Amino acid sequence: MTDTLYFSKEHASEMIEHCLQGRPNEACGVVALDGGRVQRVVPMTNAAQSPVRYVLDSREQIVCVQLERDGFDWAVFHSHTRTEAYPSPTDVREAREPRPYIIVSLADSKPVVRAFRIVKDDYLNDREGRIVEVPVHVEG
Amino acid sequence: MPVEVRIPTVFRRFTGDRSVVEVGPGTIAEVIDQLEAQHPGFREQIITSEGELHRFVNIYVNDEDARYLEKLDTKVDEGDTISLLPSVAGG
Repeated sequence: MTDTLYFSKEHASEMIEHCLQGRPNEACGVVALDGGRVQRVVPMTNAAQSPVRYVLDSREQIVCVQLERDGFDWAVFHSHTRTEAYPSPTDVREAREPRPYIIVSLADSKPVVRAFRIVKDDYLNDREGRIVEVPVHVEG
Repeated sequence: MPVEVRIPTVFRRFTGDRSVVEVGPGTIAEVIDQLEAQHPGFREQIITSEGELHRFVNIYVNDEDARYLEKLDTKVDEGDTISLLPSVAGG
């Protein structure tokens, strides 16, 4: 488990650009992690095609298995097109894993990137969870 | 060679914390029956009461999404790998 996520300027830009391109809908994807360092950004399709909901495309989600096979950990990113970079009630309810969730807010002219873990006792059944911020550091 | 089933963290409570479980070949439905026999309680996490694949779970056979193959009737041969992944969603 990592305490801080480190992005290169390039990786952060790539992730933000995918989110900007997805408007008016939420965009999503995963990042490959080595410890807390982002090694790769994997833009994915939002199967929900909605401005208020995202679902990682199930066919594309196989990349997560492949990343783990290659020794990486991974975290999910998604955008909030009009709200702040903070887990929504939907984000909390749907969180099924303790891994970090990165949120890119496009509400203001300058995108904001933050990350959080949603801590639950029972990830299968709990709809509530405790939100714990994971610091994000963009290098460069 | 057996079929290897990769278990995500959220389901490992049903497999005695194992991340990989081995079963014999068959359809995905039959593989799930084998998993249930080895690890009671597992089946209802993946299959709804109507006998359908739960929408919160994705199943891949050798990196192919089973929903785009024959779903629960998808054949799984010796040496194949099944990967389970909880779907990822939010808003």
